[in-house]
Amino acid sequence: MFDAFFARAFDVVRTHKRWVLLIVGAITLLSMVGLAFIRYEGNIDLMLPPDKDITRSLQFLRDSNLSDKIVISLAVTAPDKGKKELFLAVDQLSAALKPPLFTKVMSGISMAGAMDEFSVLQYAPQILGEEELARIDGTLTAPFVSAQLKKIYLQSFRPESIFMSSLSRTDPLDIKMLLFGKLKALPASMGYDVAVEDGHFLSRDGRHSMLIVQTSVPMMDSQQSKELVRVLEEELGRLPDYITTDMIGGHFHTVSNEKVIKRDIKVASVIASIAFLVLFLVVFRDPRAFFVFIIPLIAVAWSIIISTFVEGKLSYLVIGFGTAIAGISIDYGLLVYIAMKRGSDASQMIKLAKLVSIDAITTIFSFFVLYFSMIHGYHQLSLFSMLCVLICLLFSLFVLPLVLSWEHFHLVADPTIGDRLKRVNWPAKTIVGIWAGLTVIAAILSFTVQFDSDVKKLDGSEPSVLLAEQHFHAIWGGKTNQAIFVVPGATSEDAMELNDQVYAEAIKTVGPENFTSLALFWSSARTRASNVERWDRFWRSGREAKLRRLITQASDRYQFSDRAFTPFFNGLYAHEGQGKDPNGMLAKLQERFVVQKQDGFRILSYFPDEQSSVDALNAVTQKHPGTFIVSGRVLSASISDFTSREMRFLVPLAILFNIVLSWLFFRNWTETFIALVPVLTGVVWLVGIMALFHMPLNVVNLVAAIVTTGVIVDYGIGMTYEYRYNLRIGTVIAVTLSAVTNVIGAGVMLFARHPALYSTGVAMVICMVAGYLSSVIVVPSLCSLVSSARKEPA
Amino acid sequence: MTTIKRGITILLTLTLCLPALTAAVYADEKSTAPAPPQNDLSALLNTIGKKVSDFTSLKTDFTQEKEMAMFKEKLVLKGRIYLQKPSKIAWHVDSPVRYSVLITDKFIRQWDEDTNKVQELSLTKNPIFQTVLNQLTVWFSGEYGSLLAVNDVRVKQNDPLVLEFLPLEKNISKKVIKSITITFREDQKYLKRIQITEVSGDVTTITFTNTQLNVPLKDADFEVKGHV
Repeated sequence: MFDAFFARAFDVVRTHKRWVLLIVGAITLLSMVGLAFIRYEGNIDLMLPPDKDITRSLQFLRDSNLSDKIVISLAVTAPDKGKKELFLAVDQLSAALKPPLFTKVMSGISMAGAMDEFSVLQYAPQILGEEELARIDGTLTAPFVSAQLKKIYLQSFRPESIFMSSLSRTDPLDIKMLLFGKLKALPASMGYDVAVEDGHFLSRDGRHSMLIVQTSVPMMDSQQSKELVRVLEEELGRLPDYITTDMIGGHFHTVSNEKVIKRDIKVASVIASIAFLVLFLVVFRDPRAFFVFIIPLIAVAWSIIISTFVEGKLSYLVIGFGTAIAGISIDYGLLVYIAMKRGSDASQMIKLAKLVSIDAITTIFSFFVLYFSMIHGYHQLSLFSMLCVLICLLFSLFVLPLVLSWEHFHLVADPTIGDRLKRVNWPAKTIVGIWAGLTVIAAILSFTVQFDSDVKKLDGSEPSVLLAEQHFHAIWGGKTNQAIFVVPGATSEDAMELNDQVYAEAIKTVGPENFTSLALFWSSARTRASNVERWDRFWRSGREAKLRRLITQASDRYQFSDRAFTPFFNGLYAHEGQGKDPNGMLAKLQERFVVQKQDGFRILSYFPDEQSSVDALNAVTQKHPGTFIVSGRVLSASISDFTSREMRFLVPLAILFNIVLSWLFFRNWTETFIALVPVLTGVVWLVGIMALFHMPLNVVNLVAAIVTTGVIVDYGIGMTYEYRYNLRIGTVIAVTLSAVTNVIGAGVMLFARHPALYSTGVAMVICMVAGYLSSVIVVPSLCSLVSSARKEPA
Repeated sequence: MTTIKRGITILLTLTLCLPALTAAVYADEKSTAPAPPQNDLSALLNTIGKKVSDFTSLKTDFTQEKEMAMFKEKLVLKGRIYLQKPSKIAWHVDSPVRYSVLITDKFIRQWDEDTNKVQELSLTKNPIFQTVLNQLTVWFSGEYGSLLAVNDVRVKQNDPLVLEFLPLEKNISKKVIKSITITFREDQKYLKRIQITEVSGDVTTITFTNTQLNVPLKDADFEVKGHV
């Protein structure tokens, strides 16, 4: 059936040769033009599992403004310049960062406003609870009040009293001490070790200041991120020479990753192209080999256009596979070219077409397996690669023969090409013994291989981005990873009330020092109202009178006047109507703790991202439906679990496809097993070698390994076919050239700076080399052993 | 413990609102000089700043008078200040109680007669003292030019020169400080008096006497315990 179909199809193509070539040329031209307008996706999300928890965490990070912030650290480097010049530079930069790119710039906190918002008599009644009031009650004694007055008196002799002595009048009992525990969350909530001076953030060494910039640009938007970085760099260039800067933010990773991947793709394409060209021209010494070379390039161009049409924006990582796919799909053209060069007859050409088709089908199925993954990026990779292979197959079978048999330029025939390789006689038993031994060792080693699920390691940002982060964290701290406890609510008040409950339970579980919550220093309106009521009741039930009496008794000794603490008593119940300043410090701090969404509010609390804390607080989330934890550690573990689950399914499926397709081709289990030897060798040796060199496997090189099995199974099938049926279609030279081109295609990725592409290169090169060696050495040996065994009984 | 200290310093910073202020004197004196244009004022402040900052060490006696609603009577402190540039200041109070504090750019060391204990604190963890040091540096170093941006500056009197600094709205000290008035010595080489009038009505006046510039200072001048 295949024979008849192929013969008829080839006749049709040959009859309309000019039209076919014209149409192919026109489509290729249009595709090349189209490539200039294609935009790619730099977002690594495509490559992450769509698991419910993972998606929720990523969605949360996208929706919150946490990831759309850029932090700029400015340093004054000249020894003769100081804070004055530093703050001037901060103000200059702050003023220059304007909408629409920069929506809000925070360079510090207004102490004047903060003083109003957090004054003892405004703040304490709202925030101090029953426990703290009990402690105040304990201070209403003659000895304590006397000691307090003495302390205030002595403070008057200190230099700082020039500014603070009158403030003591509103706080004779030092109630502010009780607020310390609450307010210690403020610096922690910033996530940095930061002081405030002259309304500006200042590092402890006094030589750095910080700007927190909110931007409208989503972190994952590579185009806008590039514009954002460009504008920022332009503004930084206008700062005085004695000011240096370090910037941190996800946008820099997005831009840098894209830059690195683009550079890698360029380098890989150039190296691979040169290597392919030189190889073809040196081995074949025939300019027509150029047609074999350009088939995959045309196929890649067509595939990008079609895939983009079907899938929308393609990921850069998918395109990064382009050179590898080109290396893989050049095989079919090679096989056809060599067969034609050897002058194979029509019957041999039909056998070749059958072999090439089964090779392509096995490869297509190895990519098709990825469609069973739930990761959308794999679907893109699958579609792109299958299209590429299919187009190459069709070109090799129907278009290449047309151009190779061009009337004006005859093909340079060479009926002996590849014979030298085929004539090598390997000692079959020894070879099989050595192969079996090495494979067993690799299999044993493979049990010790590590799996690295940390997707951050696939971040390929340039050293300058990472160095800026190192500098930044050295100055400002904040390197310790924090997990986030998220409390949702239809209204702000709903969320804050639930947040109060969660806070009470969380601090019992992990301790107040490990849980930074808004509830610590600004609870819900209901809780605050309740606190205010309790405060008023507390003082009105005789304690105000008692304190007045105690102060009067101790005042004479230190010459305090009768009206010394009038501001305190006058303000004791004057806390009503204290509105929240929308531009005040509390409002600014709330930006870190409150996220407003279309469907409600989310209150965020922060805690150390440690397994014990996550486990303990997970118990709290169980009690409050809707609450959840966003943790880098959990995210990483979820990705690892998900990937392991998928791989446990996809790898056997890929192998099953290979077995079924090989069996369908040979209809014989012995030959099927021999044909699968390269796949077995490639996979087992890959894992064994990775284990031997303590290189962990990751999600990227596992996918690369699956894809490679689809290629090396072709070697096994081809070699088994050639040796078992004693064909003369040049399979050995074709497989060798194919392996060389594949290794070049994948090997150039070893020069990649991006870790994802590098990992792909490592896996494909190991898998490919092992598969090739076993196909040209072990497969013929096994074939000869099987033949001898069959002959002996005869 | 560190976080508590940090909390304390944050709160104190919040509540104290230590400003980028300057100095004061004679708030009740009538202005006798017409307000010069802004450019002239800036030039004047820079000129004065250069004169006042022309020293490396300073030794002066001081009397601090505090008229505070909190106390029945005016509080009068007498003591000495030793300053070694760039940033080492010792503040010794001799009466009515003995108290000493040494502020450097790294640490604060203080002692008081009542407890008879020396306490040392890291300056980086005490922004209040750090800010006080900054303010003292401004007063003593004479960098008045920078204050023009956050204060309305008036020349109250020309001979001797008296400058009044009124914090502008954007000045963080506005909530606490009403005005700061500085009176310079006749030779304009140093300050004679600083008066700080608070919004609450409290007034602090520091008068400098026996001021000696560029004199050698002894290590003992910067010791906080047993300095008397």
